[in-house]
Amino acid sequence: MIKVIDVCKSFGNLQVLKNVNLTVAPGEVVVIIGPSGSGKSTLLRCMNYLEKIDSGKIYIDGQLIGKKEVNGKLVEAPAKEVYKMRENIGMVFQRFNLFPHMTVLNNLMEAPVLVRRMDKGAARKLALDLLKKVGLEEKANAYPAHLSGGQQQRVAIARALAMEPKIMLFDEPTSALDPELVGEVLSVMKELAREGMTMVVVTHEMGFAREVADRVVFMDEGRILEEGTPQQIFTNPQHPRTREFLAKIL
Amino acid sequence: MSGSSGFVWDWAFTIKMLPLLIKGAGMTVLIAACAISLGTCIGLVIALIKVVRNPILNYLGGLYTWVFRGIPLLVQLFIIYYALPGATGINLDPFPAAVLGIGMCGGAYIGEIIRAGIQSIDKGQMEAALSLGMSYSQAMRRIIIPQTYRRLIPPMGNEFITLLKDTSLVSVITMVELLRTAQIYASSHFKPFEMYITAGLIYLLLTTFFTVTFGKLENKLAQSE
Repeated sequence: MIKVIDVCKSFGNLQVLKNVNLTVAPGEVVVIIGPSGSGKSTLLRCMNYLEKIDSGKIYIDGQLIGKKEVNGKLVEAPAKEVYKMRENIGMVFQRFNLFPHMTVLNNLMEAPVLVRRMDKGAARKLALDLLKKVGLEEKANAYPAHLSGGQQQRVAIARALAMEPKIMLFDEPTSALDPELVGEVLSVMKELAREGMTMVVVTHEMGFAREVADRVVFMDEGRILEEGTPQQIFTNPQHPRTREFLAKIL
Repeated sequence: MSGSSGFVWDWAFTIKMLPLLIKGAGMTVLIAACAISLGTCIGLVIALIKVVRNPILNYLGGLYTWVFRGIPLLVQLFIIYYALPGATGINLDPFPAAVLGIGMCGGAYIGEIIRAGIQSIDKGQMEAALSLGMSYSQAMRRIIIPQTYRRLIPPMGNEFITLLKDTSLVSVITMVELLRTAQIYASSHFKPFEMYITAGLIYLLLTTFFTVTFGKLENKLAQSE
């Protein structure tokens, strides 16, 4: 479903991704862990091309993202094609990024109506179904500012799902939440995983990784140092950096 | 009547001249309305070409602001009305010259106001919109620009008031508006005090309209958040 091949990325002189390779199978839940500054969020943001990559290739559902092969050479794809590809990739952000000038319902309806030209009635029904799924149907007409952080993040997940994506990317979805609100967001994510959604999750929630991940990937200083089942990574880490990291946080 | 110790306001004259001053004020309002509309359109374009990721457009936007904000409006008006005809054969009537001069200058300021407004929106908003499959222009139109409205109101109110007052400069290119009307009758009847004070009060009335309207608008938009 996702194939990251030899991806490099620098911000100025700082190389944040160094020849990263990663494959995610359909329906798989991959959790990326690692210290801050390890490049895990950047890797995630490259997958829907919010960040351009310097070299390498990323395939989503068999399609090259952000690039195009012309006469055997890799060139930047036209913006239009990048927009189109993003429709299949939902993303949830650390800071929720709900649209504050719209009601919850309109947050969910906006993209399906604008981008997919969905009929308003159908979009509304889809939005209400999704709100029900995340347990917030009664908040349909509220503005984001009137919701708690946990509620906002659940709306943000529903908003991404409204585009009926094939893949969901989560960029530290619970890091900005008060501790008591983390659970409600994680349980929505667990539900999604059970339904077979392909998910890539950057998180510090080791409990979630242990319980839900099919595979855990440990990143440090722009490289994937180790990957394996949660069992392998948490009980028998091979790389000294992984051991050091886990010792600090567990 | 106008001795150094015994000045008396000439009410009869003031009242007689009031319709003429109001007519002049009508022209002031017309110039201001046209110039503000033009300036807002120009400002929006300048702001957009300054925020898109295109160095050539960014440069052109910067160049525009640099020139039209840096040269005094009075000089710009002289150039448009007195210098252009001789140099280029473009011969504008006073009214379009006035609207163009104030509008282009205002556009430079409004462009900066709108640019700052757009850039003050959290960049996560654009990322969220793009991640949902929206194009850059859809995201701008539906997500970013609507969020700037409330933040734009106070500086735009200021700018509209400035532009309205700037219309008083166009008397130098033979436009007969409020100030020029006052000037004509002040000198022909030796009543500068009555005429300029009354003109000043009419300007105050007009700018008060903007102050009140923008204040109401700000309150209204504040409620929806």
